[in-house]
Amino acid sequence: MSTMNCTDFLNHIDEWIEGQEVPGARDHSRTCAQCRGLAEDLGTIRLAAVTLPEADADPSPHIWTAVRSQLEQEGLIRNGVALQLPHRAGWFDSIFSFVPRPAFAAAYVGALVIAGFVLSGPVHMPTDQDRWRERTQRTSAELNAQLEAAEKTAMASLTTFSPDVTADLRQNLSIVDNDIALCEKSVQESPESEIARDYLYNAYQQKANLLAQISERGEGR
Amino acid sequence: MSTNSVSSHSKSKAALLVPGLLALTAAPVWARHIEKHFKVDAHPIVTIHNPNGVITIKAWTKQEVMVMSDQSSDAIEVEADQANNRVDITTHAISDTASPDDMRADYQVNVPEDADLQIHDDSGAVNVANVLGDMNVETIAAGVGMADTAGYTTVSTVNGSFQCLRCSGRIEVRSISGNIRLEDLRSSDVLAQTSTGNIVFNGQYLPNGSYRLKDYSGVVEVRFSPADSFDLSATSLKGKVNNQAKLEPSHHGFLPRIGDSLVGALNAGRARVEVTSFNGTINILKRN
Repeated sequence: MSTMNCTDFLNHIDEWIEGQEVPGARDHSRTCAQCRGLAEDLGTIRLAAVTLPEADADPSPHIWTAVRSQLEQEGLIRNGVALQLPHRAGWFDSIFSFVPRPAFAAAYVGALVIAGFVLSGPVHMPTDQDRWRERTQRTSAELNAQLEAAEKTAMASLTTFSPDVTADLRQNLSIVDNDIALCEKSVQESPESEIARDYLYNAYQQKANLLAQISERGEGR
Repeated sequence: MSTNSVSSHSKSKAALLVPGLLALTAAPVWARHIEKHFKVDAHPIVTIHNPNGVITIKAWTKQEVMVMSDQSSDAIEVEADQANNRVDITTHAISDTASPDDMRADYQVNVPEDADLQIHDDSGAVNVANVLGDMNVETIAAGVGMADTAGYTTVSTVNGSFQCLRCSGRIEVRSISGNIRLEDLRSSDVLAQTSTGNIVFNGQYLPNGSYRLKDYSGVVEVRFSPADSFDLSATSLKGKVNNQAKLEPSHHGFLPRIGDSLVGALNAGRARVEVTSFNGTINILKRN
């Protein structure tokens, strides 16, 4: 039987997620799903914050050298200065080349921002499965539409690969599609589950990367 | 800085014997063999774009880049050029009738150990040994093998496998169906992700290190010794987590509310190990 109420727990939640011994907190977290969920989410944020400096550390100077070198090689900059050159399609363009250019940026960024918000989402929200489900369905529909169009563009590039590589690419597209389907189902079943949404988001990202890779490589031939 | 083309001859046969991780290929009939040398400064950049073939890169003590290539057809051309401190190596078709099989070129490239590498190879294999610079490798079906490397390494494959032996430095590897094997690793920052492939992590857990392994349906195997020190979080949403580690309650571990999960600390919990799977199996196993 928990002797601590929710208010007491929230008053001591900082110490609790820091790992300090708070009398009654453990019992309360066992019996109160909401407080346990909140503590879990705050613990996740805390851990993420701890790892942020590493994750966001500046890349090696060699990376910048390589980037600059690549930009110079592609004629986009000269002696470190950007040139005003006719636009040249890269992977970012080719993946959504079906969308008119002004619309492209907005559509792409919009879709990803929405996806980022809905799928990765605020870390903790009151459990409202219908709301989660509805938002996720809406975002999934938008992303699927984007990806479907990108897939048509990428498929045209498949002919430039060898038959073996083409077969590999098709097979792996199927794998990613299957992952997306499984994750969508999982999110439908547990729309509030962060890990399920994270896997779904990741599967979309994988498909986008794969289509971009196909388009980019095909273009270079 | 100088460039010199040393040799070019026809119809030579080659069988590449590559030590360590590396591949013994069949002995195709080569249409052309090329060898070039480029003098470079510190931290040179070497880029390779090759549709198909075995790329073997080794570090040596000379301050130069040596490129040896064998191409399968006269319908393609191997270019190796230098611009400042960068050496660019590309294989491209010079005939409209070049078939995919004609596009094969194998490379052996020797580089200074501080070289940075950027490699694209659709199919075949990429093997890198003893290079300490940063590396970016992208393949479709080509497997990637590394040994004794130390830079910031990013690898992306579609179904090519990745194997890293005694690597250090930050490592990020992503694949869809390729297997990932990290053996005797000495890195403090590892991110490995695959969908249907398997992941094996059998490396050191450095203090404050971060080891993130993510899979969809493959098997993830994490090997540990009783003296290792890490905080572990392992979750399989629809699959199973098997654990042989005697974990203590963690200071900051909270069990996710769904799936099969475990959290806890082994010894002082100095490193952080995060393993997730969608519907695959996670095995936390003692080293033999």
